[in-house]
Amino acid sequence: MGSNAANAQLTKKNRWERIWLLAKIEFKLRYYENRLGLLWALLKPLMQLAIYFIAFKIVMRNNIENFAIYLFAGIIVWQFFVETTGGLINILKTKKYLYEYSNMSKIEIYLASLISASLGFAFNFFILILFLIIGGIDLGWNLIYFPLIFISLFIFCFGVALILSNLYLKVKDINQFWPLISQFLMWLSPIFLSFEALKNNIPYISYLNPLFGYISTFRDVVMYNIKPDFTLVLINFAHAIIALFLGLILLRVFGKRASELL
Amino acid sequence: MNKEISIQLSNVSKTFRTSSKSFSTLRDRLINFYKKNEVKTIKALKEINLEIHAGETIGVIGRNGSGKSTLTKIMSGTFIPDRGGQVIKNGTSLLLNLGVGFSHELTARENIYVNGSTLGLRISEIDELFYEILEFSELEDFKDTKIKYFSSGMIQRLSFSIAIFAKADIIFLDEVFAVGDNKFRKKATEALKQNWLKNRTSIIVSHSTGVIKEHCDRTILLHKGELIFFGETEKALAMYEELE
Repeated sequence: MGSNAANAQLTKKNRWERIWLLAKIEFKLRYYENRLGLLWALLKPLMQLAIYFIAFKIVMRNNIENFAIYLFAGIIVWQFFVETTGGLINILKTKKYLYEYSNMSKIEIYLASLISASLGFAFNFFILILFLIIGGIDLGWNLIYFPLIFISLFIFCFGVALILSNLYLKVKDINQFWPLISQFLMWLSPIFLSFEALKNNIPYISYLNPLFGYISTFRDVVMYNIKPDFTLVLINFAHAIIALFLGLILLRVFGKRASELL
Repeated sequence: MNKEISIQLSNVSKTFRTSSKSFSTLRDRLINFYKKNEVKTIKALKEINLEIHAGETIGVIGRNGSGKSTLTKIMSGTFIPDRGGQVIKNGTSLLLNLGVGFSHELTARENIYVNGSTLGLRISEIDELFYEILEFSELEDFKDTKIKYFSSGMIQRLSFSIAIFAKADIIFLDEVFAVGDNKFRKKATEALKQNWLKNRTSIIVSHSTGVIKEHCDRTILLHKGELIFFGETEKALAMYEELE
């Protein structure tokens, strides 16, 4: 349609600086509004770390080495996933003020939120590196694979966010269902359970739960300094592309009517 | 007069569907699977055909619920017309509806940047215009206050002050002439004239016959979703008076 093309043009030339502006503001709103500031970003994973550590190391006495760091690495990937999927279910509603009257592309709104969450992740990642250094674990060359894994995770979360938020337009209680599904995914991820235990006991887990691959390959390159399992990397990219593809279709079908439906 | 076409609507209708409340969630759909989904349809616009030329100032008038806002939203691209209808628009457009397009969680400063950016300004341009916008809106003292603490008048003033600097070929003004107090309104109307009405395509939606009479070259009269008249403003206003 002619009108959309014209409006796309209006906002295209300053697109990236606008996405960055929105991401910065969102990040600031999230973490700088209260006295503790960025420490909040850290407090949540640290609390989870404490709980899982007590449950799985002190009570259940598992034998994973450097368990605290193992946990923290898993938790921060998981937290990024939760923030960018469940956290964005309402995005078309909360950010309606952006697209309703200016026809700004909705993709930009998603990207801004994902980038904002990535900044939070970067901060946690920095803390993880500190933990590794304190724990006497050497960082190695295999860190160069990290961007590959993160890009894949980013695309995957983007896709899931698109799917959930556009389904929300039609099915409002996806808000209630998604936490249940993500609980399921969490318990089937190697966040506190060991990679081998999951892999050996649940067939096809790497296909069924995308987080399985993301968390374990992330740990491989950051914590263990080994090459990631490229089959897993590939499977994860497939997950990411499929999610994004489905998400974009839903955006086309439902999303274009978002301002009427909400 | 320049006869270049700015906006063209052919055969545009808009139907809103309101499905009964029991079908908005998955749970309800499951529980009520044996029930039929009762869909009510409301025809907000019926087969509208019109052409607006570049540089014209067009008025849109009609009673409450006649479809004025729906029409502007369709012309601006916010709403999509029913199947079969076509909207052709040459150039970029923006819809000014005071007080929307802001996040109440953000400060005036942040809103100026976000809103300005969505209206097509570059950050460097907003940097330059920032104090001009603040000064115009008379909100210099509140630049770092979250706008949820603003009165509705303050929000309208801010919204108006950003829009006059925005860049677009076509502007839709939905009841914006009621902004602020008398003094501000005068200043705002003057700025609007200078920046928009003089040289760009403008579409003014208003209940005020005075506003329409003052600014518009031609006027669209809507009644119950139908286009009754589109032409000379005087005539449109006369017909509008008769409707009442």
